[in-house]
Amino acid sequence: MAYVATRGGERAIEQSQRLFRAEMGAITPERVAEIRSAMPYLIDRVMGEASLYDEDLAALALAQTGGELYEAILLLRAWRTTQPRLTVADPVTQDSLFTHRRISAAFKDIPGGQVLGPTLDYAHRILATDVLSGQTYHPDPVDPAPQPSPARQPSVAAWQAENGLLAKSLPDATTGNDIPDITREPLLFPAKRAHTLQSLARAETGGVLALGYAAQRGYGQAHPTVNELRLAEADVVVQHPRGTRFSAGRVKVSQAEVVSKQGSELGLGFAATLGWNEVKVIAAATLDLNAAGAPKGSATEEEFFLYHTEGVESSGFCIHFKLPHYVTFQSSLDAMRDAKAKRAAKDKQPEPAE
Amino acid sequence: MTQTPQDLPGWAHDAMLAVLARADTERLKAFAEPLIAQLPEIKVLENRTGLVMLPMRDTAQGTHFHLGEILMSEARITAGNQLGYGMRRGRDLEAAMAMALVDLAAALGVAADACVRFLDAEARAQAQADHDTLCRVEATRVDMETF
Repeated sequence: MAYVATRGGERAIEQSQRLFRAEMGAITPERVAEIRSAMPYLIDRVMGEASLYDEDLAALALAQTGGELYEAILLLRAWRTTQPRLTVADPVTQDSLFTHRRISAAFKDIPGGQVLGPTLDYAHRILATDVLSGQTYHPDPVDPAPQPSPARQPSVAAWQAENGLLAKSLPDATTGNDIPDITREPLLFPAKRAHTLQSLARAETGGVLALGYAAQRGYGQAHPTVNELRLAEADVVVQHPRGTRFSAGRVKVSQAEVVSKQGSELGLGFAATLGWNEVKVIAAATLDLNAAGAPKGSATEEEFFLYHTEGVESSGFCIHFKLPHYVTFQSSLDAMRDAKAKRAAKDKQPEPAE
Repeated sequence: MTQTPQDLPGWAHDAMLAVLARADTERLKAFAEPLIAQLPEIKVLENRTGLVMLPMRDTAQGTHFHLGEILMSEARITAGNQLGYGMRRGRDLEAAMAMALVDLAAALGVAADACVRFLDAEARAQAQADHDTLCRVEATRVDMETF
C-alpha cells in the first residue's frame, strides 16, 4: 500500500471537530458524574476494552466522544501511556473474589450454591416509555436476605478436578513483571497463553461475541456449557515499602469458564476481563475452548481471533480507508485503463485473411 | 529507618492499610490533615498517579496473565526516621497523601488512640457496606429443581 502526504483543509478540519463537539455541548463535572453513575455497565465495557480501570476517566472519555466507543477507548489507551507503572499486584485467584453473581449451567448443585446477583436474564424486556411522558421510573428495592451470602466462594473447576472430571491446573510461579505482557512485547504465534488471555481481556466485545457466536453455532470444534460465571470484585494486593502486602482497593472483574466433553475428560475454556461484561467473557472463553487444533483461518484459530478482536487496531484500520488514498486509487485506475486499452487494441486487430 | 515502626494496638499493618485504602475520602482527609501539626517535619518523597497491573490466575491451566491496569494514587513520605505510605484507587493525590500521613503517624506512635478510633469506625462502615451488599446478593440465591 502506498501513502501520499496531503496538505490543505486545515480550516475544514478545525471546523469539523468543532461541529462534532458542538453536538454534545459543554462537558461538565456533573455530566461526567451522571454518566458514571447512570451507566455502570457501559463504563465497565469501556474500562475492560481500554485495559484501564478508572470509572471517572472512562466516564470522561464517553462524555468527550459523545459515546463513540472506539474513540473513547482510543483516548483511554492513549492516556494510559502517559502514566508510569507503579507496580504489579499479586495475581487474583478465583476463590478470593468478593462475589456478587455466580452461576453454573453445567451443575445445579455446585459447592457454595448459585446466586443470580444483578441480572436481567429473566426480565421482561419492556421499554419504560412512561418516562418519556414525564413520569419517573423508580426501580423496586431489593428485599435483602437476613443473612449475607458468603463473600468468597470455592472454585467449581477445583471441585471438578478433585472429582476426576478435569485435569488439575498446574501452579504458575511467574509473577510481577515476569508475566508476559502484550503492552510491552509483541504478540507472536503460537501465542503464549498469558498473551492470549490478556488479549481477550482487552478485546472488543462485539468482535469477541461475533467470533465466539460463530463457534457456538457450529463453526467451532466444541459446544460450550457455562461451567461457572462470576461477576465479582477483586482485591488489588500491593506491597508497602516495609514489605507488608495489603489490599489497595477493589475492582470489578468478570470471569467465565466454559466446558465441553473432549475424549474421556472435560475440556475447559477460560476468560476474564476488568469490569462486569459477561457476554464478552462467555464468548471469549468459548474461543479459548475451541482454539486448540483449530483450522488455519477459521474463526476459532488463535491468530485469527486475537488479531481481529483488538478494537483499537481493527477500528483504526477500518477508518483509515476513508483517509486520502489518491495515489493508490489512481494507480488502480491506471491499471484498469491500461487493461481496457490493451483489450481494445486487441479487439481492433483485423482477423487474419483466410 | 533506625527505629522499628510501631503498629497500632489491635491493628495489624496490612489490615490498617486495607481499611485506609478504602476509607471514605472526605473523612480520611479531614482526619489526616490535623496530624501534620503533630508529626515531625515531613519530607514528601513521592506523590503521583500511576498504574498498577492486575494479574489473574486462569482456572483452566493455572497460567498467570494480566487483566489490565488500574489507575492509582501513591504517596510516600518520611518524618522522624519513619516512612508513611499511601496507595488508593483513582487520581486523588490528596487522599493518597492522607493515607500516608495516617500510616506515618501509626509508625511513629503519634495520635495512636485517635488513629485507632478512626480505623475502627471506618472498618465498621466498610464491614456494614459489605454485609448489606451480601444480604442483597443472598436474596438472589436460587435453588434449581430439575424435572
